[in-house]
Amino acid sequence: MDPSSSGIQEPFDLIRLSLSERVFVKLRGDREMTGILHAYDGHMNLIMSDVEETITIVDTESPEGSNVSVAKRKMDMLFVRGDGVILVSPPSRS
Amino acid sequence: MSFFGFEETDLEKEKQQFLHGQLRSSDTDDLTVYTWGEESYDGLGDALEEGGDERNNETFGSTGTVGKDFDFSAATLSGSENLQPKPSQPYNDQPLKSYASRPSESQVTRPPAASHVSLESIWDDNSPFSLRMNGAGRTSSPSSGRVQSPSTLQQPIGHGMKQQPGTRTLQEIEAEMRAAAERTREHTLQRQLLQQQQHRREEEEYRRQQQQQQQEMELELLQRQRFLQQQQEQQLQLQRLQQQQILQQREQQHHRTPPPRMLPVSQSPRFLEHQRLLLLQQQQEQQELLRLQQLEEQLRIEDLERQMRAQQISHHGGSHLDHDRHPSGPTLADMEALQLLQQQQQREILRGSQSPTKHSAHDNGLYMQQPNIQLQQRLLSELANTEFLREMQGLSQADQEVLRAEAMRKILETEKMEEKRRRKAAKIAHMSRYNDIMTQSDKDFITRIQVSQLVTQDPYADDFYAQVYGAIMRSRMGLGSDDERVLKFGTSGGIGLGVPQRGANRRPNAMQRMQQQVERIVSNARRREEEKGLHSLHSLQGALGKTSGRSYKAAPRQLLQVDSNSSPTLSHAQTHGHISHQNDNSSGDDAAAEAAKLGREALGEQHNAETSDLVRKDPLSRKEVLVTLEALYDLVLQLEQLKRNQAPPEDEQATAEWQNEFKSVLDQTWVLLKVMVPLATSDPHPFISILSIAKGKKLLPRLTRHLDNQRMLTLLTLLIACFSQLDVIRNAPFLDNPEDTPDHSEVERQTQAFLSGVIQSILPIIAKGSLRLISGLLGLLLDRNDVVAIAKTRPGLALLTLLLTRVEVIKESLHNATNIEELPSPEDAEQWQLMFDHLFQLLTPHFPFLFPSSRTIDAAAGHIKPGMDAPDQPVWQFLAALALHAVTEQHQILVTLLRDKVLDNVVSAKKGWVADEEERHAKLANVDLFLHALGLDSSQIAM
Repeated sequence: MDPSSSGIQEPFDLIRLSLSERVFVKLRGDREMTGILHAYDGHMNLIMSDVEETITIVDTESPEGSNVSVAKRKMDMLFVRGDGVILVSPPSRS
Repeated sequence: MSFFGFEETDLEKEKQQFLHGQLRSSDTDDLTVYTWGEESYDGLGDALEEGGDERNNETFGSTGTVGKDFDFSAATLSGSENLQPKPSQPYNDQPLKSYASRPSESQVTRPPAASHVSLESIWDDNSPFSLRMNGAGRTSSPSSGRVQSPSTLQQPIGHGMKQQPGTRTLQEIEAEMRAAAERTREHTLQRQLLQQQQHRREEEEYRRQQQQQQQEMELELLQRQRFLQQQQEQQLQLQRLQQQQILQQREQQHHRTPPPRMLPVSQSPRFLEHQRLLLLQQQQEQQELLRLQQLEEQLRIEDLERQMRAQQISHHGGSHLDHDRHPSGPTLADMEALQLLQQQQQREILRGSQSPTKHSAHDNGLYMQQPNIQLQQRLLSELANTEFLREMQGLSQADQEVLRAEAMRKILETEKMEEKRRRKAAKIAHMSRYNDIMTQSDKDFITRIQVSQLVTQDPYADDFYAQVYGAIMRSRMGLGSDDERVLKFGTSGGIGLGVPQRGANRRPNAMQRMQQQVERIVSNARRREEEKGLHSLHSLQGALGKTSGRSYKAAPRQLLQVDSNSSPTLSHAQTHGHISHQNDNSSGDDAAAEAAKLGREALGEQHNAETSDLVRKDPLSRKEVLVTLEALYDLVLQLEQLKRNQAPPEDEQATAEWQNEFKSVLDQTWVLLKVMVPLATSDPHPFISILSIAKGKKLLPRLTRHLDNQRMLTLLTLLIACFSQLDVIRNAPFLDNPEDTPDHSEVERQTQAFLSGVIQSILPIIAKGSLRLISGLLGLLLDRNDVVAIAKTRPGLALLTLLLTRVEVIKESLHNATNIEELPSPEDAEQWQLMFDHLFQLLTPHFPFLFPSSRTIDAAAGHIKPGMDAPDQPVWQFLAALALHAVTEQHQILVTLLRDKVLDNVVSAKKGWVADEEERHAKLANVDLFLHALGLDSSQIAM
């Protein structure tokens, strides 16, 4: 399927394909999340549901070198402001 | 008192000194010098406008300038003393410097200072001044000798002129004054000269110092700087020369003020000159002031005389200006008394009262009359009140109290109301400042602007969510959902009106008004459009001949090959419109080739007829599916849009056009749905791939609504033929795993979507299907799929239950069927029984494992996890449906196989091995669901 026939002409079209689908979103501040994308706009503001957010915390202050810990939390519905979004992709398929 | 440098005790001291004849003549040296009448006198005083001063008293009040008391007293004094070399201003023994520092003030401020020193004492009998000044006639009448203000101070002169014929004329006084002034001036001049000389000496010293400095500097500084300094010096010297000239001039002019202390404040000679000029000006001003004051005094005296005369006349004539002010006296006697009083008072006022207290006492006596009337009125009303109260005496004291309380309460209430009303009124008044600032046309203009922003081509789609929400709200509120809250204007556009308001207050009115506004605007716009159409340039285009269209030889070479077909299909989906451009190119070719085959496969009868010309393909990739889905959504939206914009049935042409359009869009959708793609093209089938995504499952009910029965049957056949290809079937084992894995929740989500989406959309077809169709579908299902695997999934069970239930309904309808044609033929019944037996046979070994509770890992370990009753429930339901169709032998098989399961549930329910009542109830309900189908009940099972 070539791009012209698939109708993909701009990056946002790819995001449109993921509407009502589970997506992986990478955010600034070492945050990542997966959830079902419900809406987006030109600023990459996103409305997501059933979100699991993963925050990677690197603790450089700890005595035994840098210590990486991961915090997770779940939210039913979330508005993600676009300025924090680095990447939106379909979830990796194992 | 120390006022402007005068010592309070001065006057007293002076008096004492005077009385003892010790007044030193040397004191006079310090007196001011008046230079008018000198040779140097510039004559400016003569140029003054002397006229028009007669009314000064009226304009400025009769107080007049006060600076001349002392001159006057001095004059009279000197007159009586016969021009002794005595100070004209005896209090003034201050050094002249202070005088010069504030020349104008000294003239003006002296009188108040003097008056403060109790002028009364001056005029007092004991006072030597009064003795000398006025003689015995004056002192004999204390009432006439009252002196309160500077203006009245002059009064004795006028008075005296009347009463004392021997008084001197004004010319005499003036002459005396001039003589006195002359004397003092001479003294001060000498002083000035001394000061000037001293000053010059100082200046010279200063110059010497400067020169010294300059010499020192010259040693240190460069030649150029020296040159500059020399220049400066030259300039300075020049300036100094000028200064000296000015000084000399001044000496010639006999200026009396000393030059200012020439301290080396500033090096700039201009500064010095400026100061000097300022001083010059001051001196001149002083002179003029003096002259003016003298003139004023003269005029004042004349004026006072005139006034006195007029007053006397008026008093005697008895004509009063203020007479009519007090019409209080009702009787004639009163009037007369009042008049007398008034006369007295006026006289008092005019003469000026000696003691203010006395005056005010008179005043009060007079003015008390008016308040008295008010008092009387008040008293009368109070009397009336008491009388009223006395009438009320008949009532008991308690009643009165109650009444009073009531009255008080009412008064308070009314006061409160009044306050409230006033506040409201104030508020309204405050707001009403802006009333009528805008005219109606202004308002209309703004409304037009606002409304024009709201008008869109597609009001429904642009306001989609609000409209849908509004529809839901309306249905919930019990309103008719038929009327869309959209204002439409033919094809040109409209406005979404949003959710209707509950309360019927101002809003509906505003809405109606806006509606009217909009309609007017739109009709106006349309008319204008029509007019434009009539008289447009288009109609005249080419009337004067054609111009050559192209002035260039060839078009520039096209670099970009833009697909012209990719125009947006929906006005509201412009940004995404290109997606709706489907991939018919790829599918169109094969679709044509395979269309014939599909016809044969349609009902699944020849599902095995895989011909050689079948084009096998890879299954659709996920991305392809998603793209297709987006296109499908666009089409579905378009279909829904068309449905809403359905042309009215009266308009046949429009209806036909609409039908054509609708059909073309529907055909596009049908093609895109890929139902007609041959069964064996790929695994999973493209249509099944589309359903593998949640939004595809959700889309189906919205789409199938528009499909006709034939297409629906085709779709259903395809779905059942490829049922095991569905993701929900393939991934169903995930549901048997413990929960809370991403896969589990994803499959769960998909399953829910399938049950609510796909099953719901095929339900109406199956519910209307004939026995023949149902047995055909069951046969197809059994033939093409692993029915055991399907039966172990919730969607599969749902489908099977659906089919069995439909047949059950048909069987029941057999008994009370009236129409012979509706009855299924015996062959169909036979076919069905065959299919059912086959199904039963296939499922028999797996009955216990249909239950999700039996398939879990825990179950394998020999113990069933609690809380699995809800997932088991569809299985019980299916088994019940199965039992209904089963014959006796099949019943026995069922009971034998499910015996353990049933007993498990019943025992755990009856022995209380349950978490709560709810679970127990669920267990029993599940078992009974199945047992009832067999004609049994859980209560029959004995423990």
